[in-house]
Amino acid sequence: MTDTADELVSPSSALTREDLLKRGAAAAFAVGMFGGLSEKAFGFAGPHRYTHRQLAGELRIMTWAHFVPAYDQWLDNVYVKQWGEQNDVDVKVDHINNAFLYSTGASQVAAQSGHDLFWFISPPSTFQRQAIPVTDIVQEVSRKLGRMAKVARKSTYNPRTKQFYGFPDDYAPDPVHYRKSFIEEVGGSLRTWEDVRRAAPKLKAIGHPMGLGMSNEIDSNMLLTSLLYCYGGFIQNEENKIVIGQGKNRTGAIEALQLMRDIFRNGMTDEVFAWTAASNNQAFVAGRLSVALNAISITRTAENSGNTALSDDTWLASIPRGPVMRMGNEHVMGVYLIWKFAQNKENAKKFLVDTMLGYREHFIRSQYYNFPAWTGAIQGGFKTIRQMTAQDTHKPKGKYTILTTIAEKYTTNPGFPGNTTPVMDEIFNTYLIPQMFAEVAQGKSTPAEAVRAFDRKAQAIYRKWRNRGLV
Amino acid sequence: MEAHAAQAKPRPRGWRHALESRRVLAPALIAPAVVFIALVVGVPLGWAIYLSLTDAIGGSLTGDWVGFHNFTSAWEDDNFRRALRNTLIFTFASQVLVVTGAAILSAFLVRDFRGKWIVRFLVILPWAAPVVLSTIAWLWIFDSLYSVANWTLAKLHLDNALVWVLDTVGLEEGAQVPLQWLGRPNMALVAVTIVHAWRILPFAVVIFIAGRASIPNEVEDAAKIDGATGIKKLLHVDIPLQAPIALVAVLFGIVFTAGDFAVVYILTRGGPFNASHVLPTWAYAIGIDGGALGEGAAISLYLFPLLVAVSVAMLFFARRVQVS
Amino acid sequence: MTKRQTFFTYLVVGPFAIVLAFPFYFALVTMFKTDLDLANAQHSPFLYNDLEGNFHWDFWNYATTGEVTFLFTDTNFPTWIVNTVLVAAAVVGITLLLALPAGYALARLAGGWGQSAGVAIFLVYLLPPTLLFLPLSRLITNLDLKDSLWSLILVYPSFTIPFATWLLMGFFKTIPHELEEAALVDGCSRLSALVRIIFPVSLPGILTVVIFAFSLCVNEFIYAFTFVSSSEQRTISAGIPNDLIRGDVFYWQSLMAATVIPAIPLALLYNAFLDRFIKGFTGGAFR
Repeated sequence: MTDTADELVSPSSALTREDLLKRGAAAAFAVGMFGGLSEKAFGFAGPHRYTHRQLAGELRIMTWAHFVPAYDQWLDNVYVKQWGEQNDVDVKVDHINNAFLYSTGASQVAAQSGHDLFWFISPPSTFQRQAIPVTDIVQEVSRKLGRMAKVARKSTYNPRTKQFYGFPDDYAPDPVHYRKSFIEEVGGSLRTWEDVRRAAPKLKAIGHPMGLGMSNEIDSNMLLTSLLYCYGGFIQNEENKIVIGQGKNRTGAIEALQLMRDIFRNGMTDEVFAWTAASNNQAFVAGRLSVALNAISITRTAENSGNTALSDDTWLASIPRGPVMRMGNEHVMGVYLIWKFAQNKENAKKFLVDTMLGYREHFIRSQYYNFPAWTGAIQGGFKTIRQMTAQDTHKPKGKYTILTTIAEKYTTNPGFPGNTTPVMDEIFNTYLIPQMFAEVAQGKSTPAEAVRAFDRKAQAIYRKWRNRGLV
Repeated sequence: MEAHAAQAKPRPRGWRHALESRRVLAPALIAPAVVFIALVVGVPLGWAIYLSLTDAIGGSLTGDWVGFHNFTSAWEDDNFRRALRNTLIFTFASQVLVVTGAAILSAFLVRDFRGKWIVRFLVILPWAAPVVLSTIAWLWIFDSLYSVANWTLAKLHLDNALVWVLDTVGLEEGAQVPLQWLGRPNMALVAVTIVHAWRILPFAVVIFIAGRASIPNEVEDAAKIDGATGIKKLLHVDIPLQAPIALVAVLFGIVFTAGDFAVVYILTRGGPFNASHVLPTWAYAIGIDGGALGEGAAISLYLFPLLVAVSVAMLFFARRVQVS
Repeated sequence: MTKRQTFFTYLVVGPFAIVLAFPFYFALVTMFKTDLDLANAQHSPFLYNDLEGNFHWDFWNYATTGEVTFLFTDTNFPTWIVNTVLVAAAVVGITLLLALPAGYALARLAGGWGQSAGVAIFLVYLLPPTLLFLPLSRLITNLDLKDSLWSLILVYPSFTIPFATWLLMGFFKTIPHELEEAALVDGCSRLSALVRIIFPVSLPGILTVVIFAFSLCVNEFIYAFTFVSSSEQRTISAGIPNDLIRGDVFYWQSLMAATVIPAIPLALLYNAFLDRFIKGFTGGAFR
């Protein structure tokens, strides 16, 4: 059975069902290898041709190793080559593990030399002073495609300087994955967080607990921050001040903490504290977890490895509703920075604009992982996106359409209702939010104490960045 | 005297002559190393110290002066204090394991027996593997779902017993089966300690063997003549003679463990809930991932005086013991 | 040794050897496991199972070398190994070149302040790379060495030299003065005495430094990762976490293979030189 996954991987490689995972992995490594810029790495006609021509310029891009390996393969070997040819530019793309984007970025800044375009997996507000503002190309794209998505705007706009410090490329909605057969078996529902609280012990009883992480990794960060929104426990307000210790925010946060403690005690196991970003994927694909919050890399992995028993039973849903709202975070908010010391700024700008104008292909090639930062990049906006996702042939049919709903209505940036400031950046990257939840869940702290301690830390971080004039 | 002078070669002239003098030769020989270190380490170190006194962010190498504010604000964060505490715990606990294990194992490895070469090979393996790779292997061994340690415990029907013990002793109240080695705060400390001890043990064994090899035979014979055997020999002869070498082994172990970044970073990323951070990883989390570079530099620098004090103390103490 | 002593010897060293080598045995088993076998948490991690979890005596039909060959054919693993060896060898060379004279001078020629200077140099080793890698990035770029193995060759001696100097200083102190005195009386200059008499005798010490410095280079991670971005130029400590861990997905079998494959030759090497190494260390450590 050929499916979209097969078509998207290089047609020259003979893919059999059972080899698909290995091939996917092979593609990943190929990309990881080809991502290294050396021309020797390219085994086929590519930049070799360029060396014999006078090129108008160069462009060096640093980006992550995409969760969907096929996308990187297409990006490096097809898209970037084509663009380079059309624009007479020699483009080189490097990929690194997303965990090291910040340290590599920092070292490039320290060295004042490196790539021209640097992609970050979350809004890199700490680096904004090192990048040139891109308000001009943002406006150029907006003129053609309409306004950018709200989540993108909040992630890249600095209201103090009134500039866009980074160019938003894509975002990934964060759906809930669940095993329909298990949920039906216990007669549970995931519509609201109260439903989740009730269903958790039942699912644990049948040996398939939920997987709501509270570890030092990105999935946990996104999940728990979303939970806080749903209960009204906002960390920031619209003016980016820290408000979690006050009033309704405080009570909301306490309720959210109590909820997770409940869910953990009755419905989950210790494993949720020990996870890496890959762990919930592994546990879900191994058939153990009944529920996980993750971008669609889980379903795609299951599909690509031929595990139809699992992937057919895996459905997607929006984040459950809380008493205050139903709201989730982006799982990935891809933002490109053009370093101040970049040597090919004009090429970089043109690349960004051209890429966004033609983002439809990127959306498809990433197997719907990369939603464009400008919804208008896909003609017809969310309506068309919904139709496209409905065409995905994996069972259950139409399961990816929910992504559109999530992207449209239930995806926001960390720091909502404020911007993703360097304060949120630091809070996120030092995992203070999972720390708060995990300490309460393991009984090391009461919810009220945990909120107070968190508030204190967040305020200290806020003061620090305010003194620097960045928030 | 004259005859002697006549037989000796004529004194070389010029710079060769100068090099004969200790006062010139010594610095001349030391200079390349010192200059190299001064340039490659000194300059960055100076810069890093400067950064710790500023509010630099991102990767920027400049910032506004804040004096010692970074140091004091780091101290006020309980995550930092925990990281400092953990650094000490890991170092102490792993070294206790290492020294005990090495002392015992080395006593037997100096004997001759069949298969000694193979045993030595196996013992050396943990030290030979690059730390990043072997730690990734341990990550798999302690995995939340696939842990071979838990699988084996379960098959031996020891898993419930272990959890019961941990619960009763108070080390991990409320722990469940399967035990999450990396998911419970104290178990994470245990896991990291195990990996550190595992990695350093071979190295310490080698050092101890060297120490035993250097005990002159006369001492052994004298001890026999004096009738000192068994425990008496251990206490009055073996341990004092091996103390200096043991101190060196411990010093190296401390340096390798306290300054380690890779093991904690790969195994737990500082989790669960930031309970297993050590100073290098916490400094990295704040300074690089969090973007507050000045503070990260300050946190890194906290460890240095500690290590210096320990090293200096141990080196001089070892020398004194040896001389006596 | 008496039979009783032999028995006790095996009783003690056996468990130690098992515990220390166990992770490698486990990695050795894991690297040949098929994906479906590995992904099933109920299957035995020590055996190769079919889809239902049963063990068969023709276990080789249920294992695969695909992941291991994959490591060699589809990643830059061989290149990484070569890079690592090259860097380590170059760094060892530089270290010996700079540390041997320095260690000798501190041991023999520097008199009273020698010991303190030696300790001071050793202390440089204690500086954490997580602190220094950012300013060093600037230095590397200014020297136009970014993204090249030469950056590592330049920076690694900054921690191997302090270590080696201190080690050699201690070692040289164990060489009796008479050796040099005799040479000097014979009319040798100090310098040629150093080269022709002392260095050959200090072979164990040199070997110690070689093994140590090599080991330090192979283990280093932070500089290797940040100074070199292109996969082809990386060393194994930097290349493997980057290319074999893609965000959500760990390629465990290949990762296990990548652990075992470098470890075995290194352990064989160290083992072969162990006796010499011990002599070198005894001389160096505490006199």
